[in-house]
Amino acid sequence: MTARHTVSTLALAVFIAVAIATSGAQQTSTAQPDSTSPWKQTTTPWGDPNLQGVWRYEAAIPLERPARFEGRESLSDEEVKESQRLEDEQAKQRLAGAEGAAVGRRSVAESPIRGNEYNSFWQDHGRPRQVFRQTSLVVDPKDGRLPYTPDARKAEARSSARYGAGPYESYLDPDTGERCLTDGVTALMWQGPNGGHNRIVQSQGYVTILHEEYLDRRVIPTDGRSHGTIRQWFGDAVGKWEGSTFVVDTINFIDRTNYEWASIFTRPSETLHIVERFTRTGADAMEYRITVEDPTTFEKPWTAVIPITRLADGTQIYEYACHEGNYAMTNLLAGGRVDAAKRPR
Amino acid sequence: MRRHFPGVMRYSIPFVVMSALAMPAAVLAHHAFAAEFDSSKPFKIRGTIVKMEWINPHTWLHLDVKRPDGKTERWMIEGGPPNALYRRGFNKDSLPQGAELVVEGFRAKDGSLKGNGRELTFADGRRLFVGSSGTGAPNDGKDPQGSKE
Amino acid sequence: MTRQLRSSVVGVVVAAVVVALGAMWLFQTTTTSQSASQAYQPARTADGKPDLNGIWQALNTANFDIQGHAARPGLALMPAAPRSGVAGLVRATHVELPHPSVRPLGAVGGVPAGESVVEGDEIPYQPWAVAKKKENFDHWLERDPEIKCYMPGVPRATYMPYPFQILQGTDKIVMAYEFAGASRTVHLDTVPDSPAPTWMGWSRGRWEGDSLVVEVTDFNEDTWFDRAGNFHSDALHVTERYTPTSADHLMYEATIEDPKVFSRPWKIRMPLYRRIEQGKKLLEYKCVEFVEEMMYGHLGVVDPATGQKNK
Repeated sequence: MTARHTVSTLALAVFIAVAIATSGAQQTSTAQPDSTSPWKQTTTPWGDPNLQGVWRYEAAIPLERPARFEGRESLSDEEVKESQRLEDEQAKQRLAGAEGAAVGRRSVAESPIRGNEYNSFWQDHGRPRQVFRQTSLVVDPKDGRLPYTPDARKAEARSSARYGAGPYESYLDPDTGERCLTDGVTALMWQGPNGGHNRIVQSQGYVTILHEEYLDRRVIPTDGRSHGTIRQWFGDAVGKWEGSTFVVDTINFIDRTNYEWASIFTRPSETLHIVERFTRTGADAMEYRITVEDPTTFEKPWTAVIPITRLADGTQIYEYACHEGNYAMTNLLAGGRVDAAKRPR
Repeated sequence: MRRHFPGVMRYSIPFVVMSALAMPAAVLAHHAFAAEFDSSKPFKIRGTIVKMEWINPHTWLHLDVKRPDGKTERWMIEGGPPNALYRRGFNKDSLPQGAELVVEGFRAKDGSLKGNGRELTFADGRRLFVGSSGTGAPNDGKDPQGSKE
Repeated sequence: MTRQLRSSVVGVVVAAVVVALGAMWLFQTTTTSQSASQAYQPARTADGKPDLNGIWQALNTANFDIQGHAARPGLALMPAAPRSGVAGLVRATHVELPHPSVRPLGAVGGVPAGESVVEGDEIPYQPWAVAKKKENFDHWLERDPEIKCYMPGVPRATYMPYPFQILQGTDKIVMAYEFAGASRTVHLDTVPDSPAPTWMGWSRGRWEGDSLVVEVTDFNEDTWFDRAGNFHSDALHVTERYTPTSADHLMYEATIEDPKVFSRPWKIRMPLYRRIEQGKKLLEYKCVEFVEEMMYGHLGVVDPATGQKNK
C-alpha cells in the first residue's frame, strides 16, 4: 500500500470512528427539555435574553395540514407515542444505511435504506426527528393551510409542475435557489437545502442570524430605530424585546415575484410584511412564531409556529460557496439545449 | 430549492409498518437530475483525483482518467453536499489529491466529460456512496413533486 | 528690601516656578498621548473587552491596487502600437488605452492614483509568481473574482469600497460585509480545524491588549488581493490586527504569509473609518443577479437580454 492509500484508509477509519462517536453524541442531545433541572433564561452581559447558538428545525410537522388530519389541530397522546416510536425506528434505519454506505461497508444495493443515503446525508438526521402534537406548522388559518390568492395558487401549481422538469432555456428559468440567490427569508428559520442550520450571535444593540445556505444573513438592530426605506430581498428588519421574546418586524421587501421560486410562499413582494416572535422555552428549545401578511400572494395573513432546537455547543456553521461554482446552472442550460435540439420543429 | 419541503419519502423498510401515523420525512428533491444527466448513459471510470471543489450544494471532483489509447481525459463528477459531509466527519483528507478511484454514475446529457457520481470505490476496495436520490435517477425512492405533505 | 517684600517676592517666584513646572508636566503628558496613538483608551463592552462594534469602511484605492500607483485610463488596459512617424516625437512609444469592454465607461472606468498600503511598497513574489501576477493583470476582465460577485476573501473584503460591520459577541465576532453578502465568523472560543478550504478562510481571534488579533487559515486559491491581479495559493495565512485609535477609527494591519507564492511575509496597513451617520445600516449587495447575463446569457437556448436564440 502506498503512503497515499494508507492516508486515505486512515482517513476512512477516522471517518468511521468519528461517525460512530458523533452519532452517539447526537442522540443524547435531543430537544426534549431536561425535566430534572428547571431551565432559567440567561442574559447577555448587556442584559438581553440569550438566544445564542446554532439552531435547527428537527421535527416532522408538515407545513400545511395533510388531508388525513383535516379538522384536527392536534394529535392524541397515543398518536404522539406511536409517531415517536416510528421515528426512532426510521432513524435507526437511516443511521444504519447512511453509516454503512458512507463507510463503504456496503453498496447501494445492500443498504437497508436503499436509495436514500443521499437524503440522509443532506438532512443529517443521525438522530430521530422530534414529534409534536401540531398537525401542521400553519396554525392560522384554522384549517392549517396557506391562504393563497387564486393567482398565487396557480403560480404554486405551475412552479410545482416545472420543478426539476423545466424547460430551462436561460438562467432565468431555474428557481432562485438553483441560481444561488436565496430561498427567501420567510422559511429561513426552519428550512434549508443542507438542513437549515442557523447561528444566532448577539452583540450590543443587534441580533444577527447567520443562515448556513446562500450567504443569507440578517443583522437586526434592537435600538428602537424606525425602519429604513431601501427595499431589499430580506426587507428592512427592526427588533425589540418584549420580556424574553424577541419580536422582529420586517417591511420594504423588493419585488421578486417575477422570478421562479421553488416555493411561492417565500417570494418577496412590495406588500410583504413579516412579524416574528422568538421565545426560548428551554435550554435547547425555542418557539418561533411567524405571521406573514402579503395581499400580493395571500388572501389573508397566516401564522405558523415552529419548534426549533438548539444543537450541541461546538456545532459549526460552514461556508456555503454556491455561486462560486454553479456548475448545475451550466449543466441545466446545456441539457436544455440538448432537449431543444431534440424537439420536433 | 425544494430540498426541504416536508413530503412523503417512500423507501423500502421491510420490517417497519408504514402506519397512517408515519410522519412524512423531509423530501430531498435534487433539482433537475433529468435536466442535467442522462439515466440511460451510465458510466464507470477509473482515475486519479486532481482536485476537489467544495461547492454547495454539490461538491465537484476533478479526475484524470487514462484511456486505453494512452490519452488522459479530465472528468468532473458531481458528488454529495459538502456541509452535510463535514458533519459526518468527511473532510479534505478523505479525498486526497492523487488518490485512485473508480467512479460509477450517470453521464451529462450533453455528452461532455461530466457525470453525476453514485458510488466511488477506492483502490483498497472501500466504497463511498455519493449518489443522488429522489430525482428520477434510477433505483431511487420517488420524488413526489408537488406534494405538500 | 523689607522682609515682607522679600517673602512676597519669594512666594511669587515659588508660585511661578510651580506653575511653570506644572505647565511643563501637563504639556508633556498631552503631547505624549497625542503622539502615541497606542495610548488611546477605547470604550469597553459589557464583558470588558475593547469595543469594536460598528460599521466601518476603508477610504483608499487598495481595492484597485494595493501598491502605489499613478492614475491609469482603464480598469482594463490594452497596449496600442508605438506611435512613430509623428512630427515632434523623438522616439516611438506605445500608449496604454482602455480595453474595449470598459471604454464606454469613460472616466468612470479609470483607476485613480493611490498610495501603497503595502509596507515598503514591495510584494515579495517568488520569481515564477511575478509572471503570474502580470498575467493576472493583463487578463483582469476574465479572471478577477470580484467581477463575478464571488466571495472576496481576506484581507480584500476589508478594503473593498463598501462598508462592513463588526458585531462583537462574547465568544464569536461576526464580520458582515456588504459585498456579495459575504460574512466571517471569528471564533474567540476553541474550535476544530476547518474541514476544507474556503473563500473567506477560517478565523480564530484573541485579544492582545486593546487589539483584536485574528489568524485566518484554510483559504482556497481563488481570491485576489485587489484588481491588479495580486494573488495567493491555498497555503495563505493571514494575521490581522484591529486596534482602536480613536472613537471613530481602527488601525487595520494584515500580515500575509504564503510560502508557495512569496519569499517572505509582508504586511498591509490602513485606517478604517466609522460610518457615523445616524441609524446607519449595512445594505444588501446581492450581486449574483447582476452577473448572470454576463456569465450565462450565451449558454441557454435563448439569451434573455436580446430574446434571440443563442447559436
